[in-house]
Amino acid sequence: MSEITEAPHGDLLVMLRHAPHGGLWLREALDLALVGAAFGQSVSLLLMGDGVWALLQGQGPGPLGQKGSQSTFEMLEMYDIERLYVDVDSLEARGLTRDDLLLPVIGVSTPELSTVLAGHRQIFNF
Amino acid sequence: MLLHLLNRAPSSSSVHQDVLRAMREEDGLMLIEDGVFGAVSAQVQHFPGLEGRLFALREDLESRGLAGRCDARVIIVDMDGFVALTEDAQRTVSWF
Amino acid sequence: MRYALLVLGGPYSHQAAHSALRFAHAAIARGHRVETVFFYHDGVYNASHLAAPPQDEPHLVDAWCDLQRTQGTALQVCVAAALRRGLLDAREAERHGKSGASLEPPFELTGLGQLLDIGQTHERLITFAP
Repeated sequence: MSEITEAPHGDLLVMLRHAPHGGLWLREALDLALVGAAFGQSVSLLLMGDGVWALLQGQGPGPLGQKGSQSTFEMLEMYDIERLYVDVDSLEARGLTRDDLLLPVIGVSTPELSTVLAGHRQIFNF
Repeated sequence: MLLHLLNRAPSSSSVHQDVLRAMREEDGLMLIEDGVFGAVSAQVQHFPGLEGRLFALREDLESRGLAGRCDARVIIVDMDGFVALTEDAQRTVSWF
Repeated sequence: MRYALLVLGGPYSHQAAHSALRFAHAAIARGHRVETVFFYHDGVYNASHLAAPPQDEPHLVDAWCDLQRTQGTALQVCVAAALRRGLLDAREAERHGKSGASLEPPFELTGLGQLLDIGQTHERLITFAP
């Protein structure tokens, strides 16, 4: 059954497809989402591929103090990011369930992915 | 209609699977840079069901020696044709 | 149409900058205006005026500057992404106590909000990634 209760819509969709720590994609993508929210835009995030690792509980900073993404995700509510979508196939392919995640998410099935993309005026895919 | 850009070969990355799952029936897929390795006949099966809306950039095929190896199911466009595709699509999404 | 390009790949390391430049010239040839190029992630390295490629390779920094000079294209660089990678204009260099600037006009440091503005003010935004 679909978890999407209203038609996806918004100003800005930021797609997160990279895992934290191995690169800066996730951090710099989240920065863009936070700026969008701070500017009053209606912002959605879609985690897909290795991006779903970003929500795994139990992450920490790297040994040189690299920030990772957990702290940023914990701030999302404060920044008024309106929707946090997660590609269910990507979760399952990595052996993850909702219980492993830091935050409640809206699960998106494969047929719904294109609906999420179509519902946003701007898409940035990181 | 969205135009999706893909610059990874299906032999080196699984991102093409995510692109395909996110595409609608009216969307187009443009292979550029290393994405054009997916246009050769032995690889094009990674892009099923895209007849008429799977494109590859001519200059990236030619620079890689693939001009004669591009599968007939792939529509070859030059840079001018690439721009024309972005005129028709309201938005583009780049996958890497 | 009013086009903008987003470049996420560093010069030479990846084809992204080459592709973006080729696309810009093809768009202009078709009668479009390429009004803005925004550099983010490792794309900010395209703005290094210290780049000194061998003479038999294309000079990408010069090519961007030519685009600005001939077409009036704005060359905008995300300041947060640039500073952490060592791309500083004269003002930032002074502010951070550095001996010299690595970024000069026509490249300009700007905030990420500008990238979101571009999405609203331009009809097309095409991303070139590494």
